[in-house]
This record gives sequence, structure tokens and C-alpha cells, in this order.
Amino acid sequence: MIVVDSIHGDVHLSELERRLIDTPSFQRLRNLKQLGMGHVTYPNATHTRFSHSLGVLGVMGRVADVAGQALGLGDEDKENLRLAGLLHDIGHYPYSHLMEGIDKVQLTEEFVESIKTINASSERYPSHEELGELIVTQREDVLEAIGGKERAGIIASLFRGYQIETEQLSRLVHSSLDIDRLDYLLRDAHATGVPYGRIDLNYLLNNLRVSPKGVVGIDLKALPAAEQCLFARFFMYRAVYYHKTTYALEEACRQLLRRLRDQEAAGLAGDGNEIRSIVTSNQFGQFTDAYVDRVVHEAAQSSDEIIQSLANTIGSRRPPRLLKEVPVFEERGSRHHAGSSFRRDCRHRLSDLAKRHSIPLGRFLYCETKPLSVEERGPQMTEHDARHLRPLEKEEIIKVFLLGQQEPTSIVSIPYSIVAACAGHFFRTFRLYLVPDFNTSDERVDALRQEVRNWGEA
Amino acid sequence: MDRRQIGLILVLEKLGLPLKLETFDDRLILQKAVYLADAAGVHLGYDHGWYLRGPYSPGLTRDAFAAVAELPSEKDEIRGWQLDEESQLRLESLRRLIPITDACSLELLASVHYLVRRRGMHRDDPGLLAKELHELGKDYDVETVRQALKTLQANGLL
Repeated sequence: MIVVDSIHGDVHLSELERRLIDTPSFQRLRNLKQLGMGHVTYPNATHTRFSHSLGVLGVMGRVADVAGQALGLGDEDKENLRLAGLLHDIGHYPYSHLMEGIDKVQLTEEFVESIKTINASSERYPSHEELGELIVTQREDVLEAIGGKERAGIIASLFRGYQIETEQLSRLVHSSLDIDRLDYLLRDAHATGVPYGRIDLNYLLNNLRVSPKGVVGIDLKALPAAEQCLFARFFMYRAVYYHKTTYALEEACRQLLRRLRDQEAAGLAGDGNEIRSIVTSNQFGQFTDAYVDRVVHEAAQSSDEIIQSLANTIGSRRPPRLLKEVPVFEERGSRHHAGSSFRRDCRHRLSDLAKRHSIPLGRFLYCETKPLSVEERGPQMTEHDARHLRPLEKEEIIKVFLLGQQEPTSIVSIPYSIVAACAGHFFRTFRLYLVPDFNTSDERVDALRQEVRNWGEA
Repeated sequence: MDRRQIGLILVLEKLGLPLKLETFDDRLILQKAVYLADAAGVHLGYDHGWYLRGPYSPGLTRDAFAAVAELPSEKDEIRGWQLDEESQLRLESLRRLIPITDACSLELLASVHYLVRRRGMHRDDPGLLAKELHELGKDYDVETVRQALKTLQANGLL
């Protein structure tokens, strides 16, 4: 069977892969948008985890074919790799990372108040990887298609990066090339129309090499393609994933879901155990973007003013208004910068601002993006730090075969690579928004902007 | 710093562990202590799988490195935060009952717990557990595993 994919062209599927794709558990991915609320900003970004998963299978198949000979992989090994690619996102929550992240969210009141509590005595929402393992090893439709628990366990171990007997397979899944990334950059760039994510996939794959120790890397001549791939990710984050409107709507939704869960609102899973129950029950098919849409729709009727405002800003697509943004590009370890000053001012002055304008504190959203660096590991983890990680995680840093070397070198250790020059820096942006209500005029927003314009400045 | 990272710092403080990652033992203690805290009912939401030295969470490693880097500049971030009372009590018990700074003991306890709770092995059969641990590259004799099971049970972790 052949599926025609808009990014990779023909993707050939085996009978087993077709059976898996046809399961209700996998078909659910058709109803999970890949970019969460990104379609509000980029109208064509309605592509799903379903098409992304097929794309990852396709790329994984190509990588397995290229590296398989050097690693001595058999046909079943290669098929397991393709299946791990196909199923790696099967545990995703509605709106992708949005719902999964609500335990990490700070409410605005928590950000400014002097005493606040983390309730760690109830089960957190599990990661999508953990849910993926649960689905692959416990849901009957998937087990039947895969052909039993033993193989299901191997495939789950592959996409979760567990220690498994076939270490070489894990090396490929978690290789420096990051198969997941190779698909999502191209797919997201195509769907949004933002060109920065376009990467030279064919050249990267054609220059894939495997060392005598089984480490996967790329040939030196493909270094520019690897550098561009890392920069593509960096710019896609800045332009698309951290876009001010998308980010604001998603933050509003995270804060809404957290408030509702704290209030034990009906219709929203109360803790991690409830999520696990959904995933293993016949409700799983409804655990899609529509699950969150329904919660938001019902919350719009809430008597709680903040919950209602958050629900309306999402439901009516009237995004939070940006009052001030402070972006920084700083050296790793930098302690004092414009962003930290802005955070300090927001923390100490926001309550007073809210009071003077008679706006509930919860209608302000203070957000910080995660620090973003050119090398995926992020600004906090240097090559030195990464040496202390488990072997599979070390593999995740892009490796390059320098001339005359049998084992590859990490890209951040190549002095003439632009990645090495930028690896010690991070980009981060600090934002303050107002969640509008139906009475919020442009004049009021302008007045607030005027008041905060000097925040963060010495 | 997000709420989970703040929670991590609070848990380590309560267990009397410094947030440091300089040596292999530092990182091993961090992994196993947070795993056991979760087993005791203090949930930060880290997802532990099995790796060479027992339960391991890549997300925890990433958060810990991020926290170490950010903490000096973001002390304000954790000011005023506390864990709920129930979690504080559970951590106090854990701190009292487990030799928390001994990396080898923590590795043993976390590994035995993982095999029983996550892999469904029987807790009444230390011989089988010792054999499984041996196959996973850990050489503990049956008596050591029996003692670990006793400690876990006495502390309400199994």
C-alpha cells in the first residue's frame, strides 16, 4: 500500500503498518492538530499528528535502510524502527503539548503572591510518551495489529528510549538526526507557509554515516545542511511556535484548564490516574481536540469571572492583547538582563496595576518562553554537561565525521561551525498580556501599555 | 522556572539534598531520590523508565540542569512557594527512614521498587528479584534484596 504524503511523496506501507494505521487508537490522531492553536495565526496549519506520524515512519524507513547495513539490522529490526516512528506520538493529548503541560503552569496570582502551594500529593498528568507506552502495550486494537505484547514492548521501548537488548536500534531512533524533527520542521513550514523550517532532508540522509562503534552522524560535507537544520528549528520556534498570538491563546487555555482542574470541574480529568483510565477505556476515541473544545465551551458559562474571560478569549478567538514584550538573546548563565528586570517589575507592580484599573489579576497573563538555543539541548546544558547523560541521550546531539576520524564529533565542538559560536547563547521572550472581555476597548489597552512601557528598564 | 522545576527544588530541600550535579553520584542520588519521593506519594510528574542504573527520567535530568543554571539568577522565583502539608509529611518520613545520601542504597531501593511496582514482579520472592537484577547487570545477593524489600515495606513504599 502507498500513501501519498505532501512532504515526502510516496510512503510505502507494509501490511502490518496498514493494520496499525487502521486501528481506532491510531485513527484518533486525525483529530489532534499538530500545532495546537497555531491555526488561529496560520489558517492552513490544521495538519494533524496523523500525517506527521506517517511522515516520521517514512523518514525512519529511509534512515533504517541507509544505516541498517552498517549496523547489521535485519528486516524485523527495520520494521520495528518504522513502527516506533509511526507510533511515537500515539499518546499525545488534545491540542498536543497544551493540555499535557498544565501542571507546570503558574497562575498569575501565584506569580505575584507571597505564599503559594504546590499540591504534589495527587498524580500529575503523565507525559505523552508514558501514555504512548500504555496504549501500545495495553490497548487491544493495537496489540492485535502488532501481534502481541512482546513486540509491542520492544516498540514502546524504542520510542521511549529505554534500555533494550538491541542497543543499535535505540541508537538509530535517538540518533543525532532526530527523525521527529526532520519531519515536523518540513511539515510545519509547509502548512504555515513560513519558509524557515525548510531543510535539506535528502542531502542529510544521503550523507548519513555510522561509525565502527555504531554512532550515527553525518559526513563533514553535510555540515552546512546540519547547521541549517538547527537554525531552521530555532527560527521556527521564534516565528511559529512562540508566535505572540498563538502563545497567548495557548497560555490562556493552560491557565483555564488548571483553574478548572483545581476546582474539580466536571468533564476534565482530575489527575493522572483519570487520564490513564481514559486512555485505556472506550472513551479514548473522544480524547481529541474536541475534548478541550467542549471544556472551554462549558467554561464560558461559568460564574467565575476569570474562567469566563479565559474561556471567551479562546472560544471567540479574541486573543489576549500584548501589553509589553521583552525579548533577550543572552549568554548562558547571564543573571541580569532586560527580561529578568521585566519579570521583577511584573511581580512587584502587577497587583497595583490591576487594582487601579479594577481588572482581576487573573486576566493578566505573564509568560516566559522556554530558553531556546541553536543546539537542541538548550542553553542550560553544555557539551560538558551532556557527557554526564546516559549514552542514548548523548546520541541526540548532532554528530559530524571530521576528516580522517572514525568516530564523529559533536557539532558544538567544531570550532568553525556557527553552531559552536551560538551554542552558549539563548533566546527567550518575556510577555505580559491582558485577557480582554467584551468591554475592553483599544483605548483601555493603550492606557495599560502606556503604564507598563517602562517596566524592566533601569 | 516552571512550577514543576520549583516543585523539584522544594522536594530536594525537604529531603536535605543539595541541588548539585557535579559528580555521577550527585546525579544518581537526584534520580533515585525523586523516584522514591514519587513512590512515597509526592508526585512531580517525572516519567521514569529503566536504564543502566535503575529508574531514570530524562525530563528530570533536563529540569535539574535548567534549575542549576537558572537558580542563581531566579531566587525570587522560588520565594514563597511551599509544598502541600501532606507532601511535606511524606518527605519527612522518607528523609528519616532512608539513608538518603547513600547513592548505592538509593539505587538498590529504587531498582527493587521499580521491578515490583512497574514490572509487576512478586515482592515475596527476593530470589527471583535478585536474579532479574543480575540479568539487568546488578549483582545483589538474595539477602541484600530481602533487606531492601523490608525497608521499602516498613516505610510504606510497597
